[in-house]
Amino acid sequence: MGDMQMIIQAVGMVFSPINLAMIFGGLILGMIVGCIPGLSVTLGIILLLPLTYSFKSPDTAIIALLAVYVGGMYGGSISAITLNTPGTNSAIATTFDGYPLAKQGKVKKALDTSLFASTFGGLFSALLLLVCASFITKLVANFASVEYFSMAILGISLIAGVSGDSLPKGVLSGLLGILMASIGTDAITGVTRFSFGLDTLKFGIDMLPAMIALIALTQVVQKLRDFVISHGKLDDANKIDNEGLTVKEMRSIIPACTRSSAIASILGAMPGVGGGVAQFMCYNECRRASKHPEKFGKGSLEGIAAAESSNNAVVGSAMIPLLTLGIPGDGVTALLLGAFILHGIQPGPTMFTKQGVIAYSIILGCLVANLFLYPIGLLLTRAVAKIIQVRYTYLAPVIIMFCFAGAFAATGNTKELILVAAILVFSYVLVVLDISSTPLMLGMILADIMEMNFVTSMMSYDKDYLIFFKRPISCVILILTVILVISMLRINKKVEALNKAQLEEMMKEHEETGKPAEEPREKATDWAGLEKLDEAESSEENAARKDAKPKS
Amino acid sequence: MKIKIKTNLWSGIVMGVFSIIMLLILPSQVRVPAFDSGAPSPRIIPGICLVGMLICSAALLIQSLVFKKEKEFEFDWAVEKPCILMILGLCVYTAMIIYLGFVIASVVIFPLLLVYCGERKPPIYIFTIAAGIGIFFLFKYVFHVSLPALPFLGG
Repeated sequence: MGDMQMIIQAVGMVFSPINLAMIFGGLILGMIVGCIPGLSVTLGIILLLPLTYSFKSPDTAIIALLAVYVGGMYGGSISAITLNTPGTNSAIATTFDGYPLAKQGKVKKALDTSLFASTFGGLFSALLLLVCASFITKLVANFASVEYFSMAILGISLIAGVSGDSLPKGVLSGLLGILMASIGTDAITGVTRFSFGLDTLKFGIDMLPAMIALIALTQVVQKLRDFVISHGKLDDANKIDNEGLTVKEMRSIIPACTRSSAIASILGAMPGVGGGVAQFMCYNECRRASKHPEKFGKGSLEGIAAAESSNNAVVGSAMIPLLTLGIPGDGVTALLLGAFILHGIQPGPTMFTKQGVIAYSIILGCLVANLFLYPIGLLLTRAVAKIIQVRYTYLAPVIIMFCFAGAFAATGNTKELILVAAILVFSYVLVVLDISSTPLMLGMILADIMEMNFVTSMMSYDKDYLIFFKRPISCVILILTVILVISMLRINKKVEALNKAQLEEMMKEHEETGKPAEEPREKATDWAGLEKLDEAESSEENAARKDAKPKS
Repeated sequence: MKIKIKTNLWSGIVMGVFSIIMLLILPSQVRVPAFDSGAPSPRIIPGICLVGMLICSAALLIQSLVFKKEKEFEFDWAVEKPCILMILGLCVYTAMIIYLGFVIASVVIFPLLLVYCGERKPPIYIFTIAAGIGIFFLFKYVFHVSLPALPFLGG
């Protein structure tokens, strides 16, 4: 079946009532979790994931999860603008201009700019994904198990290399994840590994309970801790007025949106670079290219557009390595990879030949979700913004209950609940030791793919362990892995320095103009470390935590 | 009470000891299959991971002790206490779900959690209890997943 035929079939699938309803629901859920500081897109995806088990079609499930991702990226800007606290760390740069504009009484204008830019960035990268995906998969169509194994090594190395500021800790975390995934009965030999005679471990650790404990519950517990420390105080949010974005203003921000979307799409397609990193580079570049750079940091529409179009542009472009190579681009796409596997979809070069219609329906779903974001955002932003002011004690118990119920639903066995509790305790130990859980999650997700291809390669090549270096493509991938890890570490350090300088400059400007800007809350609240922080250092983190006045 | 934890040093020690112990028990925990199916040993992947972890632990120890590159985590008991208590609470919640069921566990644990959080508003308590019951029935009748429950409470 040709690409065009598959796309036509996919269009029919995406526009089915159930998929449209899922996009609608996913966008709203994403906007809600995205706008609440301390919660994140990852939490939204994890909350929805167990519920997608009951969906008949896997593409419906993935489209719903993607809609949460898209909605969440925009949702982060709502609290950034109304509270000066980014809902997600991808919306930190939005506070630079969003909040000053809100303080001038133009909240609606700031929100509309953010919505327009988010939609623009999202559509830009979704179209790029549609164009590039098939082309890249054709390039890598001849991959065999040896190359797949090397690709898995590439994926895990890149994430381990760029998650956190310590390479040994990142690699250690990734290896720990693979080790955890190896617990239980080996599918090839039938041998039980590291069960310690416990029934709970005999069947291994499922991905979903691990995700729930490592990501969702840790976030909720940490947010509740902040609630207790602050005695449940609420910050005042700016009220939304009625003066929206005019057509002239819309036109004026299109160059900034285009520039920012293009840069973010390139950055987003690189594994390990998420919206958090892209936003600062895009913001800086747009300020440099702007006719009015002096307005940046004082409520510039271009500034909001640059920050917001970048973080939504990352959504589509991060899907490029995921769908075509099976390598997740960041923490959220790592979760999506887990979701793909749980729903029986194997992302990678064969996806477009074996499950082409599903692949295209996911891409088109991403496109449609971005299209829908604009009208839904216009209609519901005002209502969603009110959720920021809902006491967290309303939300936390419900989220925790959903987490436990969802973990149980994975297999219908109470062993999942025991694993959730155990991994939650373990997750806390990791936090104290400052070990990021992102590589761990990725290790767990990629372990099966890695081991299956390793075993197949060994059986095909008579246990020749050097085969990974003998086959040219595999050898090139492994060499690329080393080169990319080293260069990504260097780029990461440069970007971190740039981000830090940018943030300090903005804080200084805020202070000079008498509008004190808060430290980005995410610096103190990214407990699970899923979305890589750009400038948080431990000392600052502790200091910020001490001063934290959490929102609820 | 505030303790400064040198994370590189302690990560190196904790993970190093963990990987050595796991490497020592690897032969007893991962048996070699009785017959050769042509597949590589089931010990190979865990073995590579454990050796890799040991190397990373050594690298962290060298970073900390030789190059004095360290990142400190300030463990402030006043800040961390709520976290630890809530994690313990969730462990109790897990046990209660298994032995008493989802609804009873939710109805008991979450109001206690709200009390600990200093919540005084009755509607929040009512909402939480209703949510516990609502989620149980949502999973049962919409998602067709029967959450643990005592027999006379829908289990």
